[in-house]
Amino acid sequence: MERRGDHQSLHNQTPRILIEFLEVAINSIVFLKGLYPPGAFERRRYMNIVVQRARHPQLSDYIHSAVAGLQPFIQKGLVERVAVIFYNKEHIPAERFVFKLSVNLSYGSKVEETGLEFALRSFLIKLSVAEPLTKALPHDCSWEITAYVRSLPEEGNKETQLWIPTDTKQWQQPPLITPIKSMSSEPLCVQLYLEHPSQSEPTVPVGNDE
Amino acid sequence: MSFESSRSEDKTKKKKRKTLASYSSKPHTKTLGMAWGSNSPSSSKSSTRKSPFANFGSYMEEKNRKLRDQFDADASSSSLGDLNGGKGLFHGVSIFIDGFTVPSSQELRGYMLKHGGRFENYFSRHRVTHIICSNLPDSKLRNLRAFSGGLPVVKPTWVLDSVAANRILNWVPYQPEQLLNETRKQQKLSAFFALKANSSSKDAEITLKDAETTLNFQVKLETESSLSKGNAVNDALLPEVGDSIESKSRSAEESACAGPPGHQTPCEVRIAESGSSDLEDEHSVREAFHSSPDRPSATVDSSCLNDKNMKERLDSRVLGRSNQQHSTLGDPNFVENYFKNSRLHFIGTWRSRYRKRFAHLNEVKHGNPKVNALPPSQGNTIIHVDMDCFFVSVILRSHLELLDKPVAVCHSDNPKGTAEISSANYPARDYGVRAGMFVRDAKARCPHLIIFPYNFEAYEEVADQFYNILHKHCKKVQAVSCDEALLDVTDLGGDDPEFVASKIRQEIFDATGCTASAGISGNPLMARLATRTAKPNGQCFIPFEKESKSIGAEVNWGVRLNDLKDSQDFLIKLCKEVSLRLQGCGMQGRTITLKVKKKRKGAMAPRKYMGCGDCENLSHSMTIPTATDDVDVLQRISKQLFGSFCIDVKEVRGIGLQISRLESATSARQGHEKKILRSWLASASENTGQLSRINCPAKEWSDGEVLLHEGQCGCNFTDHGKQHFCGNSGQLCIDGTASLHVNQSSGEAGLNKVLTLPPIRDLDVKVIESLPPEIISEMNEMYNGKLTDLMDKSKEKNDRKGSSLCTTSLQEFEESDSGARNEGKQPLHSSLVHQDNIPTKSEVKEIMVRGIQPASTSCSSYLHFTTKGAEQVDLMPTSLSQVDISVLQELPEELKADIIEVLPAHRTLDCCDDATVGFVKGIPHDIRRTNSSENSVAELDFDCKRNLWTGSPPKWVEKFKFSHCQILKILSELYYKSRSKGKLSSILQCAFSSFPLSLDLGGDNSDEALSSLSELLKQYIEIKIESDIEEIHICFCLLKRFSTKSMLLLQAYNIVIPHLQAYVGESYGGNLLLSCAHE
Repeated sequence: MERRGDHQSLHNQTPRILIEFLEVAINSIVFLKGLYPPGAFERRRYMNIVVQRARHPQLSDYIHSAVAGLQPFIQKGLVERVAVIFYNKEHIPAERFVFKLSVNLSYGSKVEETGLEFALRSFLIKLSVAEPLTKALPHDCSWEITAYVRSLPEEGNKETQLWIPTDTKQWQQPPLITPIKSMSSEPLCVQLYLEHPSQSEPTVPVGNDE
Repeated sequence: MSFESSRSEDKTKKKKRKTLASYSSKPHTKTLGMAWGSNSPSSSKSSTRKSPFANFGSYMEEKNRKLRDQFDADASSSSLGDLNGGKGLFHGVSIFIDGFTVPSSQELRGYMLKHGGRFENYFSRHRVTHIICSNLPDSKLRNLRAFSGGLPVVKPTWVLDSVAANRILNWVPYQPEQLLNETRKQQKLSAFFALKANSSSKDAEITLKDAETTLNFQVKLETESSLSKGNAVNDALLPEVGDSIESKSRSAEESACAGPPGHQTPCEVRIAESGSSDLEDEHSVREAFHSSPDRPSATVDSSCLNDKNMKERLDSRVLGRSNQQHSTLGDPNFVENYFKNSRLHFIGTWRSRYRKRFAHLNEVKHGNPKVNALPPSQGNTIIHVDMDCFFVSVILRSHLELLDKPVAVCHSDNPKGTAEISSANYPARDYGVRAGMFVRDAKARCPHLIIFPYNFEAYEEVADQFYNILHKHCKKVQAVSCDEALLDVTDLGGDDPEFVASKIRQEIFDATGCTASAGISGNPLMARLATRTAKPNGQCFIPFEKESKSIGAEVNWGVRLNDLKDSQDFLIKLCKEVSLRLQGCGMQGRTITLKVKKKRKGAMAPRKYMGCGDCENLSHSMTIPTATDDVDVLQRISKQLFGSFCIDVKEVRGIGLQISRLESATSARQGHEKKILRSWLASASENTGQLSRINCPAKEWSDGEVLLHEGQCGCNFTDHGKQHFCGNSGQLCIDGTASLHVNQSSGEAGLNKVLTLPPIRDLDVKVIESLPPEIISEMNEMYNGKLTDLMDKSKEKNDRKGSSLCTTSLQEFEESDSGARNEGKQPLHSSLVHQDNIPTKSEVKEIMVRGIQPASTSCSSYLHFTTKGAEQVDLMPTSLSQVDISVLQELPEELKADIIEVLPAHRTLDCCDDATVGFVKGIPHDIRRTNSSENSVAELDFDCKRNLWTGSPPKWVEKFKFSHCQILKILSELYYKSRSKGKLSSILQCAFSSFPLSLDLGGDNSDEALSSLSELLKQYIEIKIESDIEEIHICFCLLKRFSTKSMLLLQAYNIVIPHLQAYVGESYGGNLLLSCAHE
């Protein structure tokens, strides 16, 4: 989460800010859901607001490496959505936090970094009070970070190999969406919303895979 | 939080610490997780138990010292000091960060570390040299010195820029804007010159310029005093100059007596005024100074020379500026031009002119201290007369075509300029243009604002006329300003002050062509307040002894409610009671307060049987715009108020309803509904129990109400504005033979009103046509629309044949109408034509249409539109809603098609869009099917409704402004008020929070409003669906919440929801969850 002092090219700047933001936001989401005891997190300051960051090395490393691994995808504009999915015991999604991303890669002029940070800050603020929107998680649940990409990059360098194709179970019915926050500040447009299974969703998996 | 991060930085560093008694002398590392003193838990515990610090102060001292030590340690590792020749860039600078900054305090701290500065976590006047902040709270701004201790307060960019420039920059330009604004308000000289140096615009603030002139003039005097006295002196000028100096000194004395130092400025400059259009004049002024040392010019002189040092400093600065065209240096006639254009000068000199002119009258005034002070004793009657936007309306006398356009008066029309608007007319004020605003701000609010320069001759002329009239009516006139005066009419005896006021206003209007407003009350203050409410062009009477009591009813005993229905029944009964009490007192009130006693949690059963026991008292109130004693209104509002408590009705132990802000029922009508005598006549019918309807056979009095235009006695309809109905008996004569009698003996509750309508055949159409449109439409209503028939028929005779398709089709229409139905039934249409009687030769005609809707809706609307072309007469109703459907159905098919085809052609102007919608929706289906052209209508309609959200302001704002649906109108109004422009959610939020009352105005939910609203929503979804689902979510949650209160919203919501879900499904693969998360 440290700001990199070295001068990055303009092209990399927006993806870098986005990656950084996603890491913080995912930390906050995991904290928000109370999956781990509060002691597993520490208070940190990011963009001048208080955020929670996982202290457990493995946890924070998972988030960090997963998100950092997205960078090449984001730079190519391939990532459509990034979802933080919470599963129940049967490994059926119970709640999904979805970041819908759209980066305008052709954005020419200099990125107003302060403005962008200001817009992203509002996400974190909103996220910290979004608890009532969410549902209580069942007992033995797990979670993962999933990215929806438009296509897979061919050349497999080290970073992209962190990501593997997934066969996550999908809901049968269209989910219910609860928006948490949307922002649009050139060249970045990020929306965060919650997805819950609709009422008509069968509670027991139909069992198309095992 | 700042120490937290510094703590985390500690992690890796070992620090030298001075040993404290109870601190372990081991290197004491505070890591985040492992709590304090993990090395020696016991010692750390003991240290907290026996605190080494005597008090908090010593603790802080120690803490600060430690923080500094840590900072030093950090600095030694990261400083660039050595590179800069031993000392860092910020050597000697010690900053303190106040609040949130960009870059953050940690980054700033980093800069300080790097560049040899210091960073203080806690403010100390002794150690801190600069305070860094981006924003300051109001309290700190107001008490800046106490907050900053006189230290410089700068924005964080100062640090960044200093680093970039590699030297410490002057901090002055980096002060927060808030601070600069503050100083500008106070008009300190230093701020003025700082400003002046930056701006090259001529139009600095007038007062500042005054100061500048004075100083400059002073400077010139000085420089010229070095010239020999032997210079050619224009002897002829001398006496004049002497005079002016005399007058100046007199006024200086006056202003000294008057007290406020602001007055001195015009006095000082008055020397210059007569003095110095060129060098010679200035010599003469100087000579005058020299030659008349015994004159009391010293007073002025010294005021200019107050601060010699200051002056000298300014001196060089003023002379240093050479490239300013409008300055004293660039323009040799500066002073002359300056005063020619100075409004303040005009106002300043006006008083002396006034004195001179009305000297004989003023002697009386001055001789009478009682009047002078205008004491607020009981018996006094004061009229405050004030011209409406004087500076503008005087100018508009010669530009009548601009009467309803936004116009302002100002020095310059430069849209980027910083000239100040001195006066703006009411249309301009609707855009938020205010006096004192810079032109560029005004233009930003109202781009088509027309700006005129001053016309001082005209102002003088009008001001003189104004005062002539005042003095004619009243001996005791106290001049407040050139366009404002107080009259003491106590001694006028018999005359009703309201009558006097209206007479004065009428005369002012006749003489000057400008309108004035008047306030009448017992003392000057109240009179001024009354004027404020009366403006524009009105008058207001505040009764002398204003009772501020309330009327209400309260029940605290035996109140036990089981369910919501019980509570509603109870409220209804309570409202009836209160309404009766109000009517009994002859009062109406505007503020409705509902008090509820709610059983306190855990309260015992009341000691008294069925008593209220231990209760919480809750109360909510609401103020409505017009006073009421109407039981329905009370019920509606009290229900709403009760709902807003959100309490369990079972816990209610008492309810009280109080009405305050009372006005007497009669004065309320006069005061607030002076425009329309609807209520007045309604009360007449209530009081007298009958309205004579002689000569009005076969008239249906739809709801017992008659509209009559205001009109002061006779046929005085020249005034289009709100003319006050003055309460005397009035007689509206039409063609001599028959008359409308409107009698009201003022002050009596039981009014004797007789209303007689002349038979329609006795009316002279020419007379009627020359009446203002409002009157015609109201009269037309009295005649149930027959008046227009009459006028149309006479038009038909006069009109050339075939002037337009619509006319002919209308004629057919009419014929078939009269054929199909008896005379005296509701006419097919009720449009009426009015030849604009504004005395200009412009070709614009105003056609006023009074829509009478089918009986099912009681709502009627005014639609204004203009057509070009001198002779073309437009006779079609603007919307099908005005056409009796049953008649339309009787017509042959071709005729129907014709009529429907013609209708939309009228509505090329966008303000009529709504009507189109209503029209399309309004036609019964059988007609729709038969009508072939209907589709094209719909398409046309569709086209102009596309892109409701384009433009700024978006199109719908304009469109809804003219809607007669209350909710849409409110939305349109709120577009301008809501801070985040263009966000529907904030507009909705505003609408629902500020106008909860209007939500259940059920009557206006026409189909057109519904379709407009749903179209608006659909288009908004289309725009926002990709980028901002949050916004849509908020909007629809709000809509859903408020759809319980309004049928219109409910319907619109139900219509749009499927679209919304379809869009969401398309873009997000799910359905939007619309449980009200906001509740």
